[in-house]
Amino acid sequence: MPETELSLTLVANIESLEAFTRFARRAGHLAFLPAERLDELDLLIEEVLMNVFRYSFPPSEPGTVTLTYSLPAQGELLLEVADQGREFNPLDVPTPDLTLDLEDRPIGGLGIFLVKQYAKPLEYRREHGWNRLTFGISADA
Amino acid sequence: MGDISIVTIESTHVGTRVVLKLVGRMDAVSAQHFETACEPHIAAAAKPLVLDLSELVYVSSLGLRSFITVGKALKDNGGELRLCRMSGFVRQLFEITRLITVFPEYDTIEGAVAEN
Repeated sequence: MPETELSLTLVANIESLEAFTRFARRAGHLAFLPAERLDELDLLIEEVLMNVFRYSFPPSEPGTVTLTYSLPAQGELLLEVADQGREFNPLDVPTPDLTLDLEDRPIGGLGIFLVKQYAKPLEYRREHGWNRLTFGISADA
Repeated sequence: MGDISIVTIESTHVGTRVVLKLVGRMDAVSAQHFETACEPHIAAAAKPLVLDLSELVYVSSLGLRSFITVGKALKDNGGELRLCRMSGFVRQLFEITRLITVFPEYDTIEGAVAEN
């Protein structure tokens, strides 16, 4: 059975977040994800893209980022975020220490941790100069 | 249709306490708005700041980062950030990140306001 893929490519900065979020929500509806999964989808999109916006390109040389989705089966959504920025595997980011109290907590570092909690599967590969992060979300979690 | 990155903040005074009600979504864009709204209350030192989160429906890591930033700043000034009426997705994220253990949490505004 052929799988439909749809892509959206935009400048890799925070101004693009809203358009990417709307694009992903349409995909979520097409995949028949229930409301609570749509919140998780919003989160995955924001965390993954913010990471690209911050780390993939130097401010002097902005690039683009492409979000692609496919619907492998009813209730399943598979997404890929791809960019040609510097090589960066977000899955190598160490797990934050969640036992620390407020004084000792770093203010950041939770984004990739959250992606790991909600995305399944979750895979990174560097391919011909591209960073490609594939992640899935399904109706029955 | 600009509903994605919006948090509105309603400020009320209950006795000498300030209660901020957050309505909407705390994401990469709107979190800064929350931090700005908290600034005058951080400067007003040594008092707890009460947040009503009953109508906050979404938070991301950058939203959580803002709670940590404001919480630390209040604590440095002898104050405290008190969270009330968390539910749904927001509560789930505070639980997963165990931030629920670093802020005092209350079921009611009255409870958060009354405690010294």
